[in-house]
Amino acid sequence: MATDALRTQVAAKWQSSFVRINRNQPGISGLLSFSQAWDIATEFVRPKDLNVEQPRNYDMKAIQAAYDVVNQSRRLPVLLETFLDQVHQKFYLIINEVEKFITEYERTSDPQVISKLVARLLLWYKTWMPAEELGPTITSAYTLAFQTRVFSALNSSFVQGFKTLCASTLPPSDPTAQAPAPDSALWEAFETLGLLDRYESIIASVGYEHIEAHVLANCTGQWAEPMLEGLRTWMSDKIVPWMLLMYARGATSTDDARAMLQNVGSRFDFHMAKTLCDLRTREIFDIIIDFPESAGALSDLKECLQRVDQRAALVQALRKANRKRLLHPGADTRLILTQYVATIKCLRIVDPPGVLLFKVADPIRRYLRERPDTIRCIVSNLVGDDESGDSLVDESEPIQPLQQPELEDYSDPNWEPEPIDAGPAFRTNKPSDVISTLVSIYDSKDLFVKELQVLLAQRLLAITDDNTEKVEKERRNIEILKIRFGEAALQVCEVMLKDMTDSKRIDGHVQSQKNSIVHPTIISKHFWPLLEASNIVMPGQFQTLQEQYAREFATFKPDKKLRWLPHLGTVHLELQLEDRTIEADVPPLEAAFIELFSEKSVWTIEELVAGVGSVDRMAAVKALLAWVDLGVLKEDGDDKFRLLEVAEEKSTARETSRAAPAAPELPPFSSVQQQQAEQMKVYWKFIEGMLTNLGSLPLDRIQTMLRFAPGYDQTVEQLGTFMEAARREGLVSVKDGVWKLTQKS
Amino acid sequence: MEQLTTSLAPPRAPSNKAAPASSNQQGAGSVTKRLSNELMTLMMSSSPGISAFPKSDGNLFEWIGTIEGAPGTIYAGLTFRISITFPPNYPYVAPTLKFETPCYHPNVDLAGGSICLDILQDKWSAVYSVQTILLSLQSLLGEPNNASPLNSDAAALWNSPDDFKAQLMRHYRPLKDDSA
Repeated sequence: MATDALRTQVAAKWQSSFVRINRNQPGISGLLSFSQAWDIATEFVRPKDLNVEQPRNYDMKAIQAAYDVVNQSRRLPVLLETFLDQVHQKFYLIINEVEKFITEYERTSDPQVISKLVARLLLWYKTWMPAEELGPTITSAYTLAFQTRVFSALNSSFVQGFKTLCASTLPPSDPTAQAPAPDSALWEAFETLGLLDRYESIIASVGYEHIEAHVLANCTGQWAEPMLEGLRTWMSDKIVPWMLLMYARGATSTDDARAMLQNVGSRFDFHMAKTLCDLRTREIFDIIIDFPESAGALSDLKECLQRVDQRAALVQALRKANRKRLLHPGADTRLILTQYVATIKCLRIVDPPGVLLFKVADPIRRYLRERPDTIRCIVSNLVGDDESGDSLVDESEPIQPLQQPELEDYSDPNWEPEPIDAGPAFRTNKPSDVISTLVSIYDSKDLFVKELQVLLAQRLLAITDDNTEKVEKERRNIEILKIRFGEAALQVCEVMLKDMTDSKRIDGHVQSQKNSIVHPTIISKHFWPLLEASNIVMPGQFQTLQEQYAREFATFKPDKKLRWLPHLGTVHLELQLEDRTIEADVPPLEAAFIELFSEKSVWTIEELVAGVGSVDRMAAVKALLAWVDLGVLKEDGDDKFRLLEVAEEKSTARETSRAAPAAPELPPFSSVQQQQAEQMKVYWKFIEGMLTNLGSLPLDRIQTMLRFAPGYDQTVEQLGTFMEAARREGLVSVKDGVWKLTQKS
Repeated sequence: MEQLTTSLAPPRAPSNKAAPASSNQQGAGSVTKRLSNELMTLMMSSSPGISAFPKSDGNLFEWIGTIEGAPGTIYAGLTFRISITFPPNYPYVAPTLKFETPCYHPNVDLAGGSICLDILQDKWSAVYSVQTILLSLQSLLGEPNNASPLNSDAAALWNSPDDFKAQLMRHYRPLKDDSA
């Protein structure tokens, strides 16, 4: 079907090809010389099996001439293709070898096998590499083809081995061990083979893991000194040289190297900071316990947190640790307070604006609010009434007034916005003193002041024997507390102290009129906390003494009435028995009982109790046993006691057994809780009244209606808790949030 | 060993001498105070079967009371709701009391609930209080004054207890738990 035109066209093509290859040589001599040159050229670039052929030396001139011929015929691209085809065909040689090495590695797990494999691959690569004279095109095409084939042959075992190999080049974290000599040849081989680019993430992870291991090994539990500086030095001494091989290859100057390292270096630094931060976050609870010995760890943590955004994790970890280790019934309130104070101090170091503290402190504060003895703990710490002697308050901290939450001063030139992770409830609380923070656990300081009064009353009444020194000490305490709580809040305490001095003065006057052995402390009922009442009536001579004293008092202060609290105080007694005289300082009840024994020598407990008015049987037995211990009384059958006019033999032994008199008990004051319970009883009457008359009411109505009750100060939440308690007792029922009284059946 | 200082004694109850018209505001203030005190006294006393409380938190002059029939009387076991309205010049003028629960009683208007009790009218004195009024009402239930009846049918029936009880129960409506 070939037309003439087609035939002519093919003939023309043929002719031009022939002319090109024959290069205008006579006859076909050009064609022959091309064919020869082609053979030389292909032979020169042919991939050779390293295991079979020795590299030969070629006559470079002949080869050069041959290439010129090929080039003149414009057959060089074809030559290239032929070469690449050959590479592919021969590549099984390399694959076989790679597999052999990998199998061996899998058997021995020796990274040196991988090292050998890399060296071998490099040899293959270099041997097959076409001569430079052929130009960059062929070189890059060859490199691409070679790497593609090699990578496809490398499996996961190689990756693992490669990682181990990289790790073995790292300096050991043990500072005494000799670092392996930098093996730059190996890294060059990696680079030439393109392994660095391909496995960069693996190399980086080797670095990360190494850093992690180093940080964990050197910093765990080491809180005294900041570690970050040391770690940075270690990085620049040990890790940077290692990184230079990989990341700064080809750097000509140090500046060059620094620029190349900057990116990866900051990644490594970040990782180090993160590792340290994670470690400290895990340890944070114990770090706080160790404070202030752990200041180093805290400054590390602060620096790390600025670099790494782990604040939320820190808050979470600390809250979890607190929940698990601190806020449970087994922990002493004092302990919780101490840890809370330490937490405040620690987190102020870590995060001066206080956002972290706010988040962590919230559960602690809520928990403390539920503890019944928190206030007492804080207050006894305030007045230095602490057996353990280790005070929550730093002695060196200046005494300052309680700080009230204040509005932000936006005109302050140093004003800063709230940190971004601050919650909506966050208040910029200026770094305040510990006491202010503790007092702010509660909504008002009134509770503290009340508890303070109770405590002061106990301490004042426990003072005996005109011990003005102790009163002075209390006065000093109160003066200090005035600075904190304000003058007005402590006025009552002031009156209590004044009562103490007034008592002495009044007593002095009364004594001058009529000498008496009674020395009462005269307190103003209105200003002292509720004292638990007692129904003891002092018998015999005590009563006479009291009456005489009261008469004198009435003439001195006619507008005032003396009401005795006979269960408080002490009585110094001298008992004259037939064979001995006993002196003792005893509580009034014991004195009253022994006074009764002067009438007859055998009493039953019931008679004794009746003799002093009314007293709890337990207290009576306790008082009698005190005399039994002194060898004055003897238990004589059922509930009967007999006076021992003549000492019994064993009484001496008994006496020594009571080595030290028991510490005087503190006068029983109703605590704030009891007073509150009294208040709640009043409120209950009101609730009962309104529910009786108004039917059923929702909680908020009850709350507003309770404003009729004098001094009602509970929040609606507290009321809810209270109502819930009443419901459990079956007094009220609730339906759809509406409360009503349970019908009495 | 306790000393009562007279200067610190709790303030006395508001003086009764202040004329109610002298200063309206001061008058209202002292009435409120008196009513609060009465409420407190009433709440803290535990008189069985009588109770009262302000209707709403904003107004101390409108109260609601509850009276249970004293045991042993014909009204035993029945509970009556009463509205109490205090005049602005209380306690110089008696409060107005009305039975909200229909009460079949010689001295109570069955339809309107108004009460014929001497201490609420001409015998009123400022020394009476909510508590004494409620106690009087409670005793009035058991011992009606048949000489001046508001409900003459009831007065006529008083001496035949069975018929009286039947009438009483016909009109009586037990309290519902209505939210005030």
